[in-house]
Amino acid sequence: MFSEWPLIVFTIVMQLAVGSFVILGGIHFFAARRYGSKEADKLSDYALLAIGPAVALGIILSLLHLGNPMNAPYAIAHFGTSWLSREIILSLAFSGIGAVFALLQWRKIGSSTLRNALALIGAAVGLVLVYAISMVYQIATVPAWNTPLTTVSFFITAFLLGSLAIGAALVINYWNLRRKSADQGNTQYTMLATTLKWIALISVVLLGMQFIVIPLYLAALATNPTNAASDSLDVLFSEYGLLFVLRLVLIFLGAGVFAVFLYRMASSNGSVRVLGNLAVIAFTLVLVSEVLGRFLFYASMVRVGI
Amino acid sequence: MAKQYAFYFDSNLCTGCKACQIACKDKWDLDVGVTWRRVAEFGDGEWAVHNDGTYTQNISSYYVSVACNHCSSPECLPNCPTEAITKNEDGVVMIDESRCIGCRYCEWACPYSAPQFDAKRGVMTKCNFCYETVSQGGVPSCVAACPTRALKFGELEELQALYGTVSEVAPLPSASYTNPSLVITPHRNSAPVGTGELANPEEV
Repeated sequence: MFSEWPLIVFTIVMQLAVGSFVILGGIHFFAARRYGSKEADKLSDYALLAIGPAVALGIILSLLHLGNPMNAPYAIAHFGTSWLSREIILSLAFSGIGAVFALLQWRKIGSSTLRNALALIGAAVGLVLVYAISMVYQIATVPAWNTPLTTVSFFITAFLLGSLAIGAALVINYWNLRRKSADQGNTQYTMLATTLKWIALISVVLLGMQFIVIPLYLAALATNPTNAASDSLDVLFSEYGLLFVLRLVLIFLGAGVFAVFLYRMASSNGSVRVLGNLAVIAFTLVLVSEVLGRFLFYASMVRVGI
Repeated sequence: MAKQYAFYFDSNLCTGCKACQIACKDKWDLDVGVTWRRVAEFGDGEWAVHNDGTYTQNISSYYVSVACNHCSSPECLPNCPTEAITKNEDGVVMIDESRCIGCRYCEWACPYSAPQFDAKRGVMTKCNFCYETVSQGGVPSCVAACPTRALKFGELEELQALYGTVSEVAPLPSASYTNPSLVITPHRNSAPVGTGELANPEEV
């Protein structure tokens, strides 16, 4: 019986949220410097608001993993030694700071310095959160998880999903702006196209990293002397071999092929409809691939001993 | 007061009858699927081909009875997010079920499958060394039930002085993970950790 769906959704959503928050912060920073904060806000504010419900969903679903959710408040008690406690505390901190920042930014409350500071703190907490999530799984008795490559791949997931999600969100935001008033001027389009170009570039680079990390990971597992490690390999290659191949194909299509199309269309001032379709398809393919990858991550859990 | 309570197991005496397992289940009224003490069945050996075309085998099998080893460095304890798992002054590792959230993280961490999930109540449970009975001078129910006297309990250092310091044998994990408070007299055909095959994975 496989019952880790709450954890699959929770870890993917939190990583996606942190990646989106950081990438969106970067986009807003560069856009504001070149085009002023008013145009930059128009580009990014709605995408920021979209992160909130995702995080709320992730945290609520994570409670489904618990046998006894009534005791959930105790889970923050053991932060001195337990990465699980730290993960929960950091999740709450990230969502709290993120929510306050989103509210201030949306309603333009407080000075922009204050808001920038809050966003920076939120981003820093988020990055520590991704690290903490990866440390939860680095327990000595599970060879398939107990490697720094778990940390590397969780960060790749965060930034790959984060940047492609933001790409899709910005396009949808632009569609919305145009629906309200047909003439959005050149600035919004230029910002969108430039951003999509960068997002496509980032995802191709991250795809390259992923394709270095996966063979390294498999090699480490294959040379691990424990029976548990070879059982984990069996799960990946025999039991779920097709899913594993499908995951690799989908991520290659999404973060590779479609990202390259996106880059080329964005460079040649392609139509917004085509840019949007490319961005949404790339994100969807990578999301499905990452969910499959996380499913395999939990399915390959084999503990040493009895 | 003991510094560290421990179990002793002599694999040469064990017949694999599982009376220890059933006595424990009975005393603590454990549900189907929750088995604090389990008896692992181990099988090993292969065929050898000789020059004259004949074959001989060196197949062997033996039993290892295992519960919670109340380890010196329990993997479950530092990882538990709620501080529900503690190690008391006699070295017994306990779960406070009124604090447990049932996240099953200790189950991932323990290489002996000692913490076990009670699906009805949604919390983790495990061997508590029959601590109440033992602290009143009694005997853990598994030890009391063993018909061949293969199981004993006592202070770790005293057991080690009597029976040596072996605390790992196939199919148990390497003792280096948790430093278990366990003393084993291995079976005469015993195999090193990481070799052979657990014959009854569905039971442990």
